[in-house]
Amino acid sequence: MKWRQRAVRIWAYTSLLLIVAIIVFMFAYIFAIGSKSISWQFLTDVPRGGIIGSAGGILPAIVGSLYFTLVACALGAVLGIATAIYLVFYCKSRRVAALMQTAIQGVAGVPSIVLGLFGYTLLVLRMGLGKSILAGGIAQGIMILPFIEVRAEKVMREFPSDLINASYALGVSKLHTIGKIVLPGCKGGLVSGIILGGCYAVGATAPLIFTGAVINSPVPTTMLEPAMALPYHLFMLLTQGTSTENAYGTAFVLMAIVLVSNGLAIFYANRRSKLWK
Amino acid sequence: MHTSLDKIVSRIIKLLAAITALLLVFITLFIARESIPAFKQIGVADFVFGSKWYPVAFVGEPSYGIFNMIVATLYVSAIAVAIALVVGVGAAVFLSCQANQRQRNLLYPFIDLLAGIPSVVYGFVGLMVIVKCFENLGRSAGESVLAGGILLSIMILPFMISACSETMLKHREAYEKTSSALGVSKWYMVTELILPASRKSILVSMALAIGRAMGETMAVMMVIGNSTKFPTLLGKAQTIPALIALEMGMVEVNSLHYHALYAAGLVLMLLLFAINAIIMSVKQKVLE
Repeated sequence: MKWRQRAVRIWAYTSLLLIVAIIVFMFAYIFAIGSKSISWQFLTDVPRGGIIGSAGGILPAIVGSLYFTLVACALGAVLGIATAIYLVFYCKSRRVAALMQTAIQGVAGVPSIVLGLFGYTLLVLRMGLGKSILAGGIAQGIMILPFIEVRAEKVMREFPSDLINASYALGVSKLHTIGKIVLPGCKGGLVSGIILGGCYAVGATAPLIFTGAVINSPVPTTMLEPAMALPYHLFMLLTQGTSTENAYGTAFVLMAIVLVSNGLAIFYANRRSKLWK
Repeated sequence: MHTSLDKIVSRIIKLLAAITALLLVFITLFIARESIPAFKQIGVADFVFGSKWYPVAFVGEPSYGIFNMIVATLYVSAIAVAIALVVGVGAAVFLSCQANQRQRNLLYPFIDLLAGIPSVVYGFVGLMVIVKCFENLGRSAGESVLAGGILLSIMILPFMISACSETMLKHREAYEKTSSALGVSKWYMVTELILPASRKSILVSMALAIGRAMGETMAVMMVIGNSTKFPTLLGKAQTIPALIALEMGMVEVNSLHYHALYAAGLVLMLLLFAINAIIMSVKQKVLE
C-alpha cells in the first residue's frame, strides 16, 4: 500500500505548488503589463478620448470606488460589530444565537447580483435615492456585513475571559467593560476585518451595476450622485473594446489595492495578538 | 451611575442585531414579491423548464424560459467545484500535515490574496489567458463553459482550502502522538486516518464553494460567451447571474421582463438553498 501514500504526498505538493504559481502569475502578469500604463497623469486625470476611456486617466473611478467603499464599510462595520457584540455578550439563548448565525450565513450566501437587484428596486426606485453612491454603498455594505461580523465575533470570543471577569468583579458595568476593555483590546482584529471587507467591496461590481456605478461622471461631490467605480470601469473598457492598455492600468490599480489592504490587515491583526502577551 | 446610558446603548445594540438577523428574510421576501407577477403570467413550469429566452420578440410572442441558464449555472459550478476539490484538498493536506507553523503563517495570508482579487480582474486574466489559450488550440471562439469552470475553480479555492485545512489540522493534532508512538509514518497517517476523518469538512467546504461559484457574476460573464443556447462543455452559454447583470439595465420597470429577471434571481437563491440542504443531509449520513 506504499504507492497510495506516495500518491497522496505528490498530490499535496503539486496542489500547493500549483496554487502558489497561479497567485504569483496573476500578480506578476497584471503588474508587468499594467505598469507600462501607469503614470501620474493616468492616476490624476479624468477619462478622455473619442470613446470615453480610450485616453486620459481614472481619477473619478478611484475617488468613486473610495466613496462606495467608505459607505459600505460604515454600514457593514456598524451592523456587523453590533451584532457580534450582541451574540458574544448579550444573547443568552443558544437557540437564538444559532438562528442568528444561520441568518448571517444566509446573507453571506445571497449572490451579489441579487443584492444588486434588491438595491435597485428598493433603494434606487422605491426609496427614491436614484442611482447614487449611497444606494450602491448600501448594497455593498450588506454584502460585506457577514464578512465583518464573522471576524468580529471570532476576535471577541478569543478575547481573554479573565480580563472580562476581572472587570465584572470590580463592579464595572457590562457596557463599560465592552467599551473600555474589550473593544480597545480587539481593535486590531476589528480594524483588520473592516479593511478586508473594504477590499472585498472595492472589487465587487455586481451590486453596483444598477445601483450606483456609471460609465462616465466627474469626481463626485455628494453621496446622492452616481459615480464611476474602478472594477466597473475596467469591465467597460474591456467589453466595449475601448482600450486594452488602460484596462491593464486599471487592473494594476485594483491589484495594488488588494496587496496594500491585505498587508494592512495582517499588520493590524498581529498588533492585536502582541497587546495580549 | 451609567445605568440609563447602559440601557440606551444596549437597546441600540439589540436593535442593530435584530436588523442584521431580519435582513435575510427581508431580502428573500422582497425578491419573491417582485417575482410573483412573472410566475403568474408565465407559469412556474414554463419559466423553469422552458428552453426559449426571447424577452423581446420581433416576430411572434416573447418567451421566458430559463432552463438553459439553470443548466449552465450548474454545469460551470460543477466543473469549478470538481477542479477545486482536487487542488484544494491536496493543498489543505500540505498545509495541515506537511507545513510547519511558520510556513503556515506565511502561506495562509498568501492564499487569502486569491479571495481578495476582484472578480473583474479574474475575468480580465481569464479573457487574456484562458480564452486566448483555447483559441490558440484551434477553436474559433475560446469563450466556453470549460473556460468559465477553470476560472471559477481558482476563485473558490481559498474558501475550500481554509474550510478543509482547519479541521485537518485538528485531526492531525489528535492522531499525531498515537501514530508516532505506534511507529506509523506520517504519510500513512495522512492517507489512512486524516483524509477519511475529514470527509465531513470536505463536504462542508464544497457547500461553501458551490454557493460562491453559482452566485459569481462578472468573471463568468466575461469568459463564457453569453449565449442562451443549451450549454455544452466547449460551447458558449449564459449563467443566471450573467443574465440578470446583462439585461436588468435595459428593461422597463414593472414590465414582464423586469419581473422575469427577479424570478430568475429567486430561482438562483432557491437552487443554492436546495443544494446546501442536500449537502447537509449527505453530511449527516457520513456522520453515522
